[in-house]
Amino acid sequence: MHCTMDEMLAVRDGEGSARAKAHVEQCERCQVEMDLIARRAAALRALPVRRPPRDRWLVVRGQALAERRHARLARFGWGSVAVAAGLALAVGLRGVEFSGRDDRPAALVAEAAAGSAIDDLVAQSQQLEAALRAYGPDGRVMSGRAASLVAELEDRIALVDQGIARVRAVNGSREQLVNLWRDRVLLMEGLVNTHVTRASYVGF
Amino acid sequence: MGVIGVLDDIAIERAKAGHLDALERVYRAYEGMVYALARRVCKTAEDAEDVMQETFLEVCRSIGSFRGEGPGSLTAWVKRVAANKALMRVRREKYREADEFSEDGPNAGRRAPDVALQLDLEVALSRLSDTSRAVVWLHDVEGYTHEDIAEMMDRTVSFSKSQLARAHTRLRGWLGGE
Repeated sequence: MHCTMDEMLAVRDGEGSARAKAHVEQCERCQVEMDLIARRAAALRALPVRRPPRDRWLVVRGQALAERRHARLARFGWGSVAVAAGLALAVGLRGVEFSGRDDRPAALVAEAAAGSAIDDLVAQSQQLEAALRAYGPDGRVMSGRAASLVAELEDRIALVDQGIARVRAVNGSREQLVNLWRDRVLLMEGLVNTHVTRASYVGF
Repeated sequence: MGVIGVLDDIAIERAKAGHLDALERVYRAYEGMVYALARRVCKTAEDAEDVMQETFLEVCRSIGSFRGEGPGSLTAWVKRVAANKALMRVRREKYREADEFSEDGPNAGRRAPDVALQLDLEVALSRLSDTSRAVVWLHDVEGYTHEDIAEMMDRTVSFSKSQLARAHTRLRGWLGGE
């Protein structure tokens, strides 16, 4: 009985059984098939090398830079979120302290409302950051255009974070903070949407 | 110019440190090799281009943790990354059903012998299922063992061997005595 293709390939790769090896040595037909296998493999190796039709370096470079920026932003962004959340908490507590002795209830109500709005916006921003981390943008690939958009959004978020820090440093109004946090949430939503709709999973 | 002539240890160290000019040199040195492998494993040129992009993005991310020494070792590492990415795409795209049809469909079974003999190797290779084509290329051309392929495909060694035999049987049938 002649060798099967599996047996002949195993013999070629030095893994064949003693029976298969002995048979191939004696069988002219199987030797012809073994020769054909060798010729096929040689022909495969001799196929022309295909060259990439386009240069992808700029896309790769853009994505690599966007990832680096994202990583930096993640570190910086989380720090600022923590600081801002702490600020919002401190401002809120101060409002509570004032509420016991200030005789301007309308202003206090407005302040409390602004503090509550900041808390909500900070929470939304944190949820979006968490959603983006869970989505795992580092394991995905996107077009150069999408990568540019991501980079732009990240830059704008970084500017907003700087704005939040500035307002905090000068004891700016809560209204300013509310506006900045609202901007941040909108930008984060844009960032998450861009990642989710324009990237495909790569994995490692 | 060969890869070894293009990249030296200093360039590799700079690439590992994340210098973009050095990373571009790595890209220039290996883009042909990576695309050639991806193009043979993947079904379409577009897939191969995407695999090339994914491979070099991965190289940019991970070259810092590359522990080998010298261009030869880097070549093997980059090729391995490319093979992994290509196989990942093969698995993800789920071409199998269409491929089974192209391999085993009624036309394939009824083809007249003289027509079958006229199929050249390129066409025959493209007609194999993605999995069989990937295995025969990685084993017979790129030199990966069945153990390597099984690991990269997350399958068994037996699966790799059976896919190789299947590929050779198909090619034998389509190409005849060559």
